[in-house]
Parts: sequence; C-alpha cells; structure tokens
Amino acid sequence: MTAAAVEVGTELPGYEVPSVSAEKMKTMAALLSDPTAIHWDVETLQALGMGDRPINQGPLNMGYVMNAVTAWAGGPDRLRRLRVRFLGNVLAGHHLRVRATVTALREEDGARLADCDVVLEVVDGGVGGEAVVSGTATVVLS
Amino acid sequence: MGFAEADLDGQVGRAFPGGTYTVSPWRAWLLADTVLADPPSLQAGGEQVAHPLFAWMAATGAMGITWDELFSWFGATAADGPVFGEHETTLHRPLRVGASYRVSGGIVSAQRKVGRRTGAFDIVGYSMDLHDATPDDGRAGAHVATCWNSIVFPRRDA
Repeated sequence: MTAAAVEVGTELPGYEVPSVSAEKMKTMAALLSDPTAIHWDVETLQALGMGDRPINQGPLNMGYVMNAVTAWAGGPDRLRRLRVRFLGNVLAGHHLRVRATVTALREEDGARLADCDVVLEVVDGGVGGEAVVSGTATVVLS
Repeated sequence: MGFAEADLDGQVGRAFPGGTYTVSPWRAWLLADTVLADPPSLQAGGEQVAHPLFAWMAATGAMGITWDELFSWFGATAADGPVFGEHETTLHRPLRVGASYRVSGGIVSAQRKVGRRTGAFDIVGYSMDLHDATPDDGRAGAHVATCWNSIVFPRRDA
C-alpha cells in the first residue's frame, strides 16, 4: 500500500508472533540487567502463585507493536510516538497478533503522519483475542 | 512492615543519577533479534537505525540506578512482582547504532490505589530524556527522545 492510499480507517497488515519464546526472555533479561525472576525462573513464578510459564517482558510486547507499525510505515526510523497500556501478561508459548488501524492523518513540520490505534492480542485456542497491550502510535509516512 | 502511602509523596521529584548509554552494535543486534526484528548488519559500514525500543533501553539502562535500587526507593524488591503499567516513547529523531545518549530524569508521580480484584497497589511514574552524546559528529546535545513509564508495585500487606 502506498502512503497516498492510506486513509482513516485503513487497517495495517497483520503482524503475528506464532509462539513467544522463553529463551528470548532470558536474553532480554540479560540485556536489561533485570533481576525480575518471573521472566525466567519457574520456581519463583510458582512461589508467587503465578503458574509455571515465564512472563514476557513488557518491553518485548511493546517491541512487537513497534515492529508492526514501522514495518508498515517503511522502517524502524518511522516511529514518532508510541503510548501503550499493559493490560495483561503474555506467557511463554502464547500466540500473539498485533492489530492496528489508522485514526488520523496530519502534517507536522513537513512530514505526513499517521496516528493509529494499536492492540496486541493473545490469540491462543481459537477464541477471540484477549488484548494484553493497547494504545496509540504515530508514524511518519513520508 | 509495608511501604506507607505517606512515603510515596516524598519520592516524587527524586532525580535519577543519570548516565550515558551507547547503542553498541552487538547490543543492537541482540536486542533486534530478541524482539523479532531484523538485526542491523555487523558488517555493513555507514549509519544504521537502531530499533526504536532502544529509547526505552537507553533510558532505563542509563538512569544511574539498578532496578533493585529503584524498587528499594519504594520499599519493594523484584520478588514482590512489580510490573509495567504504561509507557510512552516520543522520538524526535531515530536512534543510531553506535551512537551514545545522555540520560536524565526521575520520579514524576506516585499514587496508591485499591482494586477490587488486585487489592492495594502503587503506581509510580518516571520519565527520562535522551540527548545525543556522541562526540564529534555535530549532533551532540540534540534532544532525541523522551520516555515516560509507570510501574505497578503490588502491596499485598497494605
């Protein structure tokens, strides 16, 4: 889709994570120097009554949303703003989907911007998606 | 003894020591791979754009205290299960692989709430600004990004 063809209501192409990886969470914890064990230690999860599947880091969930909107807009340099609320946990093995819809088109400092509603859903089990991240994103179209 | 609601206000306005974060090529590669994006080439020359998640990575990576220290400002530990609440990244320009960023900021809000299902919890807001700190490239000092975040501390004993 060309930027010229974008209009309010345009749905961005679907973006999916077929299965969230517990191994990626370990790498992310190391990159962040994050001691929060619920991302990698099952014993801690069980002690907290949080089951036995590691919980994905919020920034990774946010990153999937960034991937979806910047892939559509033309690259990682296109993101201007992202605001998200974290609504629920993403667990290792979850199948995720990002949905995004253009809500406004505007010009700012000579750049054409698209504002989008974004949502990251868990789509396991064939039931309707459960939103785990929702918010808004602004990307540069040209 | 739990962290008192009255102690929350005293933390608002507290500044982080801050610091400098460099988007090292190895870190840019691993982060992109971890978040399921295309990693930048380690072989190509020239300027490459870093994944936009690096705004958050840089902000929290160079705030000048560890996560454990931040949790301790609010009488909590990682074992208490603090979680992300909300986040906003505003990018004034893309982050670059190999560039360095000066980080400054601090605690901007703190509030106790009680949910019917969740019980008591504290929502703490913190915000950081990123300025280009790459020497000798003509962009040093430029405001690159602002990251605002909230973190939720469960207060099972409140």
